Amino acid sequence: MNRQLHAEFLKLRTTRTAIGLAGLAVAVTALIATLESATAGTRQAMAIPSLATSAGLRDALASTGFALIAAAVLGTMITSGEFRHKTATGTYLDQPGRGRVLAAKAIAAAVAGALLGLAAAATATAIGLGFAAARGYPLTLPAATIARYGAGATIGAGLLAAAGAGAGSLIRHQAAVIIAVFAWAFAVELIVGGTATAVAPYLPYTAAAMMAGVTSGGGMPPIPSAVIPLAPPGGAGVLAGAAVLLAAVAAATTVRRDIT
Amino acid sequence: MAVIEVRQLTKRFGAVTAVDRLSFQVAAGTVTGFLGPNGAGKTTTLRMLLGLVRPASGQAIIRGQRYADLADRRKVGAVLEASGLHPGRTVRDHLRVRCAAAGIARPRIDAVLEATGLGGLAGRRAGSLSLGERQRLGLAAALLGDPEVLILDEPGNGLDPAGVAWLRGLLRGLAGEGRTVLVSSHLLAEVAQTSSQVIVIDRGRLIFSGPVSQLTAATGQAVVVRTPRAAELSAALAASGAAVRELAGDRLEITGAGTEQVATLAAARGLPVFEISEQAASLEDAFLTLTATQGRPG
Repeated sequence: MNRQLHAEFLKLRTTRTAIGLAGLAVAVTALIATLESATAGTRQAMAIPSLATSAGLRDALASTGFALIAAAVLGTMITSGEFRHKTATGTYLDQPGRGRVLAAKAIAAAVAGALLGLAAAATATAIGLGFAAARGYPLTLPAATIARYGAGATIGAGLLAAAGAGAGSLIRHQAAVIIAVFAWAFAVELIVGGTATAVAPYLPYTAAAMMAGVTSGGGMPPIPSAVIPLAPPGGAGVLAGAAVLLAAVAAATTVRRDIT
Repeated sequence: MAVIEVRQLTKRFGAVTAVDRLSFQVAAGTVTGFLGPNGAGKTTTLRMLLGLVRPASGQAIIRGQRYADLADRRKVGAVLEASGLHPGRTVRDHLRVRCAAAGIARPRIDAVLEATGLGGLAGRRAGSLSLGERQRLGLAAALLGDPEVLILDEPGNGLDPAGVAWLRGLLRGLAGEGRTVLVSSHLLAEVAQTSSQVIVIDRGRLIFSGPVSQLTAATGQAVVVRTPRAAELSAALAASGAAVRELAGDRLEITGAGTEQVATLAAARGLPVFEISEQAASLEDAFLTLTATQGRPG
């Protein structure tokens, strides 16, 4: 297992996919955080409340919705990429235990996703607090809350990436699984969360977003205000459950298929 | 002693039987050619041998065990497809990943890069490699574990003439070191030059297994005769039951009759003969004859 894990981390470090996607996530997070902070408290459409308020500062610091989706996409690419580039043959020659390969990929995805989430959270926090300080506003959120949002984005992104690894094993076609991730976040969760608010906290993206403090999310799927967030351990449990479920279904179906 | 053993191996893809009760053995220290027309089931057989494709029935084992159960899989190297590379990963990094996954010491990387002539391309991304260079990289990865058994699927694909000559030398060298090599190919001439044994399959079934010399002998020899009265000799030979094919320059190719029979018949009819010789069937002839015998057109 250690060998496979080492190989999976090496795979991530030796292509531009992970760093490129992380860079994109940080750049988009920076853009959203900057736009939200710059327009906070104005009467412009979709402007967040003033950074002098706790709600406004929270919205600016939690501009990590895109990063959460990017982490899930990264997870899908870690597994589906093996079939896109036909590297699965070599991978399974070196480690015929396909369950072990999937587990190693899910762990690698979780670590890479967590780093991506941490980078995005740090970026959003720095920009939001920077704008607030520049305007001379007092800090309206306790440091513990800010840290909790950062930890939520980090853990949420990591677990979403692990779930993405399972999804990428289940739907091996890379373009199809990436479309599925966006369709899930922007359509399925939006519709289900909007119509059944009691179910919404148990949906993976919503659970991760609420751990990270995301509400409107600057262009990302909005979380209906009636949705009551789960406690952070509950949200993490939902995400871990989704990751395990997807991996288990993949292990029982597609992972067993012939590598032709 | 058989290093590779395939017993009654069968694989079906839907209604298509790709491999049909196939059995053969590969002895230790030999280079064995694995021949068959496109779609014969060679790749599927090799993938079943390596645990990538699950057989419907039968067994494919290496040193008495399934590939997945081998205590040290590093001693089995395989090249299955030249396209199995991430285009953004460098040649050296590709080998680093394979080393990490298989638990092979990294100093082997330089050794295999040198052995496959890729030393100068170590920093190149796989996406920029030619097909021949990709084949070499596949071979380099297969050699990382200093394997005792090599399973190669069409390793000559994409190689230029110099690359083919290099591959021939590499295979001979590996055989000279006592390694067991099973190499599938449609380049029959290459197999003839590098393999001592051949296994021929068609439509998933075994057609022939044995030494190359036996394969050509099994499909018979032809007699070529040159005479200015080719039509008369042809008619006489046909009447005696031999198969005759007219070649250019008053020459006839006869199967089903030896040189003595042909010469005696020509003398009896008073037909002058300027040249008569036996012509051993080439591996290609033998292969085509075997597969045609099994009913495959062309």
